[in-house]
This record gives sequence, C-alpha cells and structure tokens, in this order.
Amino acid sequence: MTPPPTEDHLLQRAAAGDRQAFDDFVVATAPAVWRLLRRLTASEAVAEDVMQETFLGAWRAAPTWRAEGAARTWLLGLARRQAARSWRRRAGEPRHHESLGKLALAAGWGDDPESLAARSQDRSRLLRAVATLPAPDQEVIVRCDLEGLSPSELAAELELEAGTVRVRRHRARLRLLGALRAEVGDG
Amino acid sequence: MDERHIGGLWCHQVLELLDVFVEQDLSPTMLAAVRQHVADCDACARFGAAYALLVQEMQKPVEPELDAERLARLRQRVREDV
Repeated sequence: MTPPPTEDHLLQRAAAGDRQAFDDFVVATAPAVWRLLRRLTASEAVAEDVMQETFLGAWRAAPTWRAEGAARTWLLGLARRQAARSWRRRAGEPRHHESLGKLALAAGWGDDPESLAARSQDRSRLLRAVATLPAPDQEVIVRCDLEGLSPSELAAELELEAGTVRVRRHRARLRLLGALRAEVGDG
Repeated sequence: MDERHIGGLWCHQVLELLDVFVEQDLSPTMLAAVRQHVADCDACARFGAAYALLVQEMQKPVEPELDAERLARLRQRVREDV
C-alpha cells in the first residue's frame, strides 16, 4: 500500500500547478494554521479571514518555497506575517538603549497601572499594541507569550542563549505595557 | 523611579526579577525576598500585578479547534480563487 503523500510533497505538486494537491495540503495543515491564528488574532472572524488570506498567499507563493525547510514551517511563517498585517499598524522605532528603569517608567511603574491591566485584557487592543513594537520585540512576544514557546525553544531556533531570550522577553513585555499605557493616554 | 529598599531588595532589583517571579522560577530565598518587598511596596505590587495580568492574558488558551464548517468554507474559497 502506498503511503499518503507528505505535506512537503503536496506543496511541491501544488507549486507545479496541481490544485488537488493544494486542496489536500489545505486539509492537512489548516488545523495547525487555525490554532496559531486564534492566538494571534482578536476574534474567530478575523482568524478565519487571515487563514483564507494565508492559504491564497501560499498558493501564489508555493513556487518560491525551497524544500530545505518543512512546508508546514514555511506556511506558519506566512500565517504569522499575515496576522501581523491584520493588526493596526503604528510603526514603533527601535529603542535599544533604554535602561530597565526607563522602560518601567514608560510602562507605568509607580503610576496607576489598573487601567493598563484592564486594557491588556482586551485582546484586540493588546494586539494593536504588539503591532507598535519594534520587530525583535514582536518576535519574542509572539513566539513566547502568544504561541507558547519556552525561552529555550526560541533560543534554539535563533541560535542564542536562553538567558538572552529571557532578557529580551522581559524588556519586550515592558515596552508592551508602555504601548498599552500610550493607548490609555490616547483615550 | 522612587526607589525603596524593602526585604533586602531595591525596587529596580525587583523589576529585574519580575519576569522570573511571574514565571515562578525564583529560588525560595529570592522568592521570599521579592514577596516581602512587594508586600510593603505599593508601587512594585501594583506594577507587578499589571505585568502578571498581561502575561496571563497573552498566555491564556484560546478555543475552539477548527471545525468542519470553517474548513469547508476555506476549501471553497481556495477553490474559487486559485
């Protein structure tokens, strides 16, 4: 009995224009894309839109996929980028030289953080605030806090020390609180 | 920051330990010191609570799994557009 084609083979065939193979690829991978997007979007409706855009984008981009990486990893990367586009973008400039104390002040330390806490419970506000962070902060927040990777797992992917990822995550969370505070200030 | 020294720790030291504290990964000695500090430092207690709530919100599980109807709508959309 012939084993079913792997996701990689299905994507390879899709890249050559095989629509049935792409449909099989959708069926095989959609549950994983959905789980990821439910974490990276504010509602099921947005997650569904982003999932559809992800697969349409995957069909268009399939010929550019290089088989040295797994098809699923490639697809989840597309989904992550598509989710980030769905957040309201307010580009944040990287701020690499702030002390922890400055970050904490910007995040509302010594202030009245109750309203911040309430804001952080509104997922769409939270994701809008994530969208304002510099890319390295977004990466660590999305992969560790939203997707649930441990610092060690992300460190292995990025070829860094786990301690470095922990420090980045802490600073990114402080910047995120600062971004939520800015939203509070905006009303 | 209006630095205070409570429980053997300055506020900035508590701030540095906040992520490990929230992840419950501190040694028992450090855990006791941080707890003592935040018990008597209102600013650190309130900020720590906001930080912990943010982490909890980001890490909370989301449901549900992909259902058959949604998958069918996705396949339909892809069939129409590719």
